[in-house]
Amino acid sequence: MAGQTDMELIKDGVRLDGRKADELREVKIVAGVLDNANGSCYLEWGNNKVYAGVFGPMECHPRHKQKADRAIVQARYTMAPFSVNDRKRPGYDRRSSEISYIASQAFEKVVMVEEFPKASIRVDMQVVEAHAGTRCAAMTAASVALADAGIPMRDMIPACASGKVNDVVVLDLNKEEDNYGQADLPLAIIPSTGEVVLLQLDGHLTPDEFEQALDLATSGCMDLYKKMRLALENKYGGSA
Amino acid sequence: MGKESSDKSDSVSSRKLVLPGDLLETKSKPGRGIFRRDGRVHASVLGYSSDQSGYMNVNAITGGYTPKVGDKIVAICVETGPSVWRMDIGASFNSTLHHSESGWKVPFGDTARFLTIGDAIWAEVFMVDAAGTHQISLKKDDCRKLYSGTIVKIGPTNVPRVIGKQGSMITAIREKTQTRILIGQNGHIWIDGKGNDIATVQKAIEMIDNEANSKGLTKKIEKLLEK
Repeated sequence: MAGQTDMELIKDGVRLDGRKADELREVKIVAGVLDNANGSCYLEWGNNKVYAGVFGPMECHPRHKQKADRAIVQARYTMAPFSVNDRKRPGYDRRSSEISYIASQAFEKVVMVEEFPKASIRVDMQVVEAHAGTRCAAMTAASVALADAGIPMRDMIPACASGKVNDVVVLDLNKEEDNYGQADLPLAIIPSTGEVVLLQLDGHLTPDEFEQALDLATSGCMDLYKKMRLALENKYGGSA
Repeated sequence: MGKESSDKSDSVSSRKLVLPGDLLETKSKPGRGIFRRDGRVHASVLGYSSDQSGYMNVNAITGGYTPKVGDKIVAICVETGPSVWRMDIGASFNSTLHHSESGWKVPFGDTARFLTIGDAIWAEVFMVDAAGTHQISLKKDDCRKLYSGTIVKIGPTNVPRVIGKQGSMITAIREKTQTRILIGQNGHIWIDGKGNDIATVQKAIEMIDNEANSKGLTKKIEKLLEK
């Protein structure tokens, strides 16, 4: 989020990659791609490539993290060393532990944790290729993986970002827009109620722009939700 | 799954794939795999909805085993204590078999003489409490220790497919192969018989597990067993 730049990121309403301001990048979702996980998903979102796998509910370790009346969701977001231009030092870092934490909290809002006391539901998200918006991509993939694992949930949560580039509010920032734009606002919602389970903001937005960005991201989430449904219907054969 | 569901004429009318959170239009009482929000019924798991005999259910297609009292299961011993056995029943937590529920007269500390790690039993779930712990019993009906044979593990949601409508599938498998089979509700299936027969049954059951949601499964299995 460098903010000021001479770069022309949007011209006559058309962005660098040819999209309009309110257009998502191409999204491809495949459910149930891994044999060894209880539930899994592979997601391609523009140039982002993400795998998500779900295990559990299982006994929670370490035991001091157990909750006597409910399960906890232990989400883990990691980026592969080869997912970015400069080789990323492998393993957990400040950024990934933050994303893991907020993802866990978001999933605990939808997963019926009260059905599994003392248990843990493990959600692993692996970014294989990163091109801006990986936390949204990872959480979307993880939602599909959770449904694929047969874990009781109130809804699936799609996540999508909006932001501001060259003073225009746009949906789903790509790499250049993320790096040289003015604001980035990732959002995750519960589609059936409209509740917000994740909202972050990096950069500057006026109150009006914020409202606009929020609406845009919400509509992006709803589009994405349809694609998530389609992925699961494709795997399980649709209406029989 | 056109052909299969037309066989099950009692459930065909309202069978539909639903995803977590989907609103279910019904006047029936809420059953399995659903939750209520603002007085309306929603699906909580990925599965097929069925609205019959006054209950709205969502039958999950995937997912782990949740023990229910009265379930007949195949359990495997994973740990022995002075007066209890810890048994793997495929649920989130291991189950407990207390010596007083074993039917044997077990001296304190001598549990491993009766049942040791790796041994399998045919048991019944007799207690599940709100904290999620559960106990199994060997003292019910035909519950016993299982000698010889082999155990195949499948998804517990596919158990009804292995059994078939009114036991049609499992009867066919039993008759064609001369094997003894016990199907646990937890998806652990015990098979005993001659080596070749066990292998055939194992193949058939794995096929059912992999293709549980495909068409013409009964025919495919019959063909496999004819060989």
